[in-house]
Amino acid sequence: MNTYVDGRVEPSKRLSRFLVFALIAIIGVSGLTARLFYLQVSNGTRYATLSAQNRSVIEAITSPRGVMYDRNGRVLVTNVPTYTVKVRPSDLPQSRRAEVVQRLAALTGVDAADINTSIDSNPGSSFDLVRVADDVDKATALLIAEAGTDLPGVEVVVEARRQYADGPLMSQLLGYTGPISADQLAALRSSGYLPDDLIGKTGLEATYEQELRGTYGSESVERDASGRRLQVLQTISEPQAGDSLQLTIDTRAQKDAEKALKWAMGEVGIKRGTVIAMNPQNGEILAMVSLPTYDNNQFARGISNKEYAKLLANPDKPLINHATQAWYPPGSTYKLVTGTGAIADGKVTATTKVATKGYLTLGATKFYDWNHRGFGPCDIYCGFGHSSDTYFFTLAGKLGIDRLAYWAKQFGFGSPTGIDLPGEVGGIVPSNQWKQDTYGAEIFPGETFQAGIGQGYDVVTPIQLINAYAALANGGTLYEPHLVKDIIGPDGQVVRAIEPTVLHKVNVKASVLKTMRNAARSVVTLRHTYNLVDLPIKIAGKSGTAEFGIKDSQGRLPFHSWFVGFTPGDPYHGSFDKTDSKLVVLAFAYDSRTKSNAGTEIVKYFMQLWYGIKKDYRNQLTIGNHYQSN
Amino acid sequence: MGVIRAEPARVTDWAAKSVGLAWRAFDWQLLVYAALLGAIGLAMAYTNSVEDGKLPLEAGTTFTRGLMWAVIAVVAYVLATAFDYRWLKTLAWPIYAFQLGLLVMTLAIGDGVGGAARWVSVGPFTFQFSELAKVLMIIVLANYLGARQGQLDSIGSILGACVLIVPPLALVMLQPDLGTSLVFGGILVGMLWMSGASLKWLLALGAAVIAMIPLAWTYLLRDYQKARLDSFLNPSPDVQGAGYQLYQAQISVGSGGLLGKGLTNGTPAQSGFLPVQTTDFVFAKLAEELGFLGAMVTFLLFVLLLWRILADGWRSRDAFGTMFAAGLASMILFQLIVNVGMVLGVMPITGIPLPFVTHGGASLVSLAIALGIMQSVNIRQSKAEW
Repeated sequence: MNTYVDGRVEPSKRLSRFLVFALIAIIGVSGLTARLFYLQVSNGTRYATLSAQNRSVIEAITSPRGVMYDRNGRVLVTNVPTYTVKVRPSDLPQSRRAEVVQRLAALTGVDAADINTSIDSNPGSSFDLVRVADDVDKATALLIAEAGTDLPGVEVVVEARRQYADGPLMSQLLGYTGPISADQLAALRSSGYLPDDLIGKTGLEATYEQELRGTYGSESVERDASGRRLQVLQTISEPQAGDSLQLTIDTRAQKDAEKALKWAMGEVGIKRGTVIAMNPQNGEILAMVSLPTYDNNQFARGISNKEYAKLLANPDKPLINHATQAWYPPGSTYKLVTGTGAIADGKVTATTKVATKGYLTLGATKFYDWNHRGFGPCDIYCGFGHSSDTYFFTLAGKLGIDRLAYWAKQFGFGSPTGIDLPGEVGGIVPSNQWKQDTYGAEIFPGETFQAGIGQGYDVVTPIQLINAYAALANGGTLYEPHLVKDIIGPDGQVVRAIEPTVLHKVNVKASVLKTMRNAARSVVTLRHTYNLVDLPIKIAGKSGTAEFGIKDSQGRLPFHSWFVGFTPGDPYHGSFDKTDSKLVVLAFAYDSRTKSNAGTEIVKYFMQLWYGIKKDYRNQLTIGNHYQSN
Repeated sequence: MGVIRAEPARVTDWAAKSVGLAWRAFDWQLLVYAALLGAIGLAMAYTNSVEDGKLPLEAGTTFTRGLMWAVIAVVAYVLATAFDYRWLKTLAWPIYAFQLGLLVMTLAIGDGVGGAARWVSVGPFTFQFSELAKVLMIIVLANYLGARQGQLDSIGSILGACVLIVPPLALVMLQPDLGTSLVFGGILVGMLWMSGASLKWLLALGAAVIAMIPLAWTYLLRDYQKARLDSFLNPSPDVQGAGYQLYQAQISVGSGGLLGKGLTNGTPAQSGFLPVQTTDFVFAKLAEELGFLGAMVTFLLFVLLLWRILADGWRSRDAFGTMFAAGLASMILFQLIVNVGMVLGVMPITGIPLPFVTHGGASLVSLAIALGIMQSVNIRQSKAEW
């Protein structure tokens, strides 16, 4: 061994070992080269194909969504094929996104900002499709489908979308379907919902989502590297079509209701209103109109953010169903509760005369009757018939707030009716407990007076109010109002009939309600509702003028107009002694400003249209002071 | 034996030499091949960043991190070249202790995927110390074997080398990092072979190792490691599981064809086809985008680089230099064959990076240090001889 003076050791190099090492390296690299040649050159085509195909995934087969019919079998919503443009974010290179979005915007007419929002708010992963443009016309769809690499990550899908036959007429009821939100997806993913799925967003579409949707099937699909569908390998399970709904709605009644309400609103520029028609014998809703409304087809086609923002910004809230999703003071219509309660509790009898005056004094405060002269001594027919405020102040005072609250709850106020529409609100029934909980104070006696005539803290939803009068009309049964009669299977057979659901019976003797029905009739016969009595059909009911908001310069409050009325089983010759009424109608005009009661005119017009009364009894609506009538 | 060469090189001689002469001994080819391989690595980092939908120069992309590590690697290379490698012999034992310290620290404070401890994070940097440990191991073994020239036909020196490698190997196994421990083994075998160790004893040692495989299978390997080996031996039945990477990698490679799809035109990482394509499977991406020809160029650069390292080792008049070259060449060759073989489906998946190309700062910087030491050996020969 050789060692240098500086400690280095002369290596004993063996050429053979170097050569063997080099040989191993050469063999190794040659082996890799051979393998690479085999994979890339000999079999290159095969692997290129495999690479292009190498995703076999289990995918859902959507099921046809159930449709809806009105009570006479008229089709209200259908599924129509439509071209939808979707983007798979993972296949859309970031560097080209702006350009692709611009081109898509130009082609589809969808705002580029909306497309970006859709992509960014995608509820699924970047590997899932995101819908960016719905209901694209065929020419555009073909153009996009053929663009290929010019529009990477963009796909055109043929889907079924909802087409609502009557658009705005039924929007508040039917609702619409729309893209599933991230929250909904999180909750429903395990039930088979897909990230780019459609779901009932509101209305019956939302309430009956489960029935309408059906069951998605699944299949094994081969997709290429860019996500394009190549072939179906195997159907794992067939989709099952959703069930359809037969509604209680009568399209003609709905149209009549809308016509009547639109007329009154147009006369004096009323901004909001609602009309409900209902069968008191089973809670079936025949018509429910809430204006202003919107077109649910806009949503089904994919509403732009701009259009949506416009709907949201409208102060009269077209997206809200004012019949169920908003509460208002009921005014004199609430006197049904006070009157029924006072008689049932034995505070007065039907014939007890109560002195009515221009006002009642409580401490230093004067509580005025709407008629500043009063009506003299009044029984229930006179008090209810003329809607005397001092009569009902007296009754409310005798009852006290808690009994008043009890009777209000008996008539279904204070809690949602359970109608099969989403977002129903409950209203407020004031009581001592309620005021303690809310304001930390007892009810003042004056507040009991106010509550007795449907002012002050009282707020109700139109559906609650009509349901209370339906109970009056049918002899005391409070039904759950509903819009769906039957659920019909894909084969056309009824899968489930929606039976009338009794919420409860009003805890009162039949005779008391009979008295109240006749008192309601006297509202009409005493001409408190002007010429309503002249119609060939018999109507009983109650008007209401409900003050709200802030006093004007002359110390007057703005007010809503209500009327809720019903006909006997035989509208022409029947009697209100019976409980066979088939029709209750409610009209509500928000901030109506009319001299005569707009609600009465709307109900009258509806009755004329519905019963085919040729002669027109309508009075012209004029703006004026409601203190003329109540 | 025992004859002292006529031209003893002295430290003072070296000091008197002109710098120009030293630069003549500098192996420019070695630098160029390594730099080209590094450039390929950066190109792959670039393509991965672009396909991830990011701008290449956005902060935090594979590419910007790659550029940063490339700069650090160049600095490390220059420093290692300037450093007199002979100090390494003096410092061999402290270096050994330092190496063990790094591995112990990794176990103590390291992060990793699925309970493994592989990276040590310092601020924004993460560093896989086992990469540096491989180079330090080569230094320690080069010193040990270099000093025992002529005694290598005895079992003692061979066993000594084996004993030296056991503690770091065990520490790496504990992380657990099967791949790196295999590289340690590869380095040891390569260096023993090149040291001229007795064939008889080498064979005996090999037989002993093979006899221990069943024991290792039972007691040392984790379940996922077994699953990987299983899927290598029998790849098709488990296309969605452990064999998935293997299967997808081969499809990716195959689809590249002769000329490749072109940089940035490969299958994007998010599509989920090719797992870990920025790291151990980067060669699949390279083959897909640069094709057979691009892969051939890469192989050629590796072969040329290995040739230069072996040539530098042969040229070295210092047994340390020869042994260091042997270790470095063994490491690079082993990693090349095992990594690429894994991607091509002829080697099991073990998580060994492809030198220069796999994106990882530790791997690149450690290689730069090793190549710098090689140059240090080159320019500190008593005399340039070619």
